Amino acid sequence: MILHELYFAASLILIVVGLYAIMSKRNIVRIVIGLELLTLGVNLTIATMGLRIINGSSSVDALAQSMVAISMAIGAAIAALALSLAINIYRHYGTFDVRKLRRLRW
Amino acid sequence: MIQVFTPLFILLGAAVVTVVVDPLFRRVGFREGSGIFASIAFFFALLFLGVEALKPPKVIAYRIFGSESPLTASLKLDPLSLYLSMIFCGIGLAASIYSIRYMILERETGLDRYYLLLLTLIAGMMGVTLANDFFTLYVFWELMAISSYSLVSFRKWSWEAVEAGFKYLLMSSIGSLMALLGIALLYGLTGSLGFDALQASLSSGKGLAADLSLALIIMGFGVTAAIVPFHSWLPDAHPAAPTPISAVLSGVVIKTGVYAMLWSLFKVFSPSLYGFGTVLIGIGVLTMTFANIVVVMQSDVKRFLAYSSIANIGYIITGIGLAAYVMRNYPSEIGVAMLALTGALFHILNHALGKGLAFLCAGCYIVRAESRDLSELEGIGASMPATTSAFGIGLLNLAGVPPLSGFWSKLFIISAGLAIPSDGVMLTATAIFILNSVLAAGYYLWLFQRLAFKKKAQGNSRIKEAPMLMLIPLIILAAACILITIMLNPVLQFIQTALEVVLG
Repeated sequence: MILHELYFAASLILIVVGLYAIMSKRNIVRIVIGLELLTLGVNLTIATMGLRIINGSSSVDALAQSMVAISMAIGAAIAALALSLAINIYRHYGTFDVRKLRRLRW
Repeated sequence: MIQVFTPLFILLGAAVVTVVVDPLFRRVGFREGSGIFASIAFFFALLFLGVEALKPPKVIAYRIFGSESPLTASLKLDPLSLYLSMIFCGIGLAASIYSIRYMILERETGLDRYYLLLLTLIAGMMGVTLANDFFTLYVFWELMAISSYSLVSFRKWSWEAVEAGFKYLLMSSIGSLMALLGIALLYGLTGSLGFDALQASLSSGKGLAADLSLALIIMGFGVTAAIVPFHSWLPDAHPAAPTPISAVLSGVVIKTGVYAMLWSLFKVFSPSLYGFGTVLIGIGVLTMTFANIVVVMQSDVKRFLAYSSIANIGYIITGIGLAAYVMRNYPSEIGVAMLALTGALFHILNHALGKGLAFLCAGCYIVRAESRDLSELEGIGASMPATTSAFGIGLLNLAGVPPLSGFWSKLFIISAGLAIPSDGVMLTATAIFILNSVLAAGYYLWLFQRLAFKKKAQGNSRIKEAPMLMLIPLIILAAACILITIMLNPVLQFIQTALEVVLG
């Protein structure tokens, strides 16, 4: 079971780092990278959940594999859209700094 | 039995075909072509759904791929998904007819992409209601989400749309990922993603991990439903989108979040085992109170309507929460839970029609007056009588003025809340609900009298009535509001059959 916990720890670290990057970074590209790390962490969790270890021999669940593959494709689509918006923000303001935006406050 | 999912395939197919036929339409100078094409697709999808709704209620499951039960992705069709699909498709049809003229008046380009995204947006929402496992639900969920991010930032020449789109994308993707994490935990606990299999294996308590995934799912789907701590994208995103898209977003997209929450909570986790009723009541009360206080300070008509959407989400969540609360604490009073859920589901329909109508009318005013500021729109109603009558019906429906159907849905939730007089939580929630409804009725009527009857501001005299093609969807939606009020009984009966599927 030590393998499971290792993977869980890795995905938890990815999720926390991703959330931290989104919350604290000022550069839009870094925020998008944070979003990608978050996606990776969640995908790794799904893949870990599909890992079955019975009596020492491990097997993987095909459902989890296909779900991760599709989730990665969706993540890529979101990243592409986010980066295209980042380009448009750069065209409007000439900067990637979120503090310069007029309304992007939380 | 794949035929019953024809509406979904019509929309997805039409989305692909739009891109192909739009250049042909443009070559012959027929710019309205792709809009008319999309409207026809919506019409036929709605027609198929209507035919299906007239048949006796049943549950149909269809496996897309995979053979054994845990390894499948499958679709289902039951009265609840039929009911919601019809609402989504109907608002989509109205928005699409409205867009034909609106997009040309606003001199927008890239109409092929616009209709492609509108079709995939509605198809994604329909898919969410038709999904029979979390895997399929998540795929359609993201189809809906990505389309709506792109549509919010469709006017990429304006700073407002780009910023609002980015904010929406960021908050909503974090929400979807949190929901996905909750789904992954559920999968790890039970080894399955199908709703029926999950329900069976979660019927005994599963401890902390199940509670954690429950919290993640409420939070994740709650971002799209705009519950209060996670609402801040909505008042930016909805006004920045083109008006027909605002109507779709405010009318139905946020309801998809409510549906996903309702379905995963009532179907997968049983309300009698997990005590999420109190949490939902708390969220609902907080949401409506906050939104109703902030809405009065808005000076932009689209922001005003956007905030009032958040308040209405609060009413619906409170209704659902009351039902879950009753099912946990008073298992013998199942009728009260039914009443609250009927009210919540009926309010989804009323708010979709009312808010869709209000947004489309506001769009007509904005096109003619070229301003979104309430003080500049004052008294514009006198120059546009047809739009104003439709706007009045929409706002009266939202305000819950008695004969209209918006009154009945609120009444159901209130009477469910008062059904058990000894319970303090339910009484407090209902008291706040009533106060909020009164406040909301007040500001809707205030908005209406300000736009319709107040003395004209200067320079309003040359404003013409909105073009005919933009008035048609307003008339359809206003007629639907009145028709539902007249046919109250059949609609309620349909909702009740739908609920028997959820509650079992």
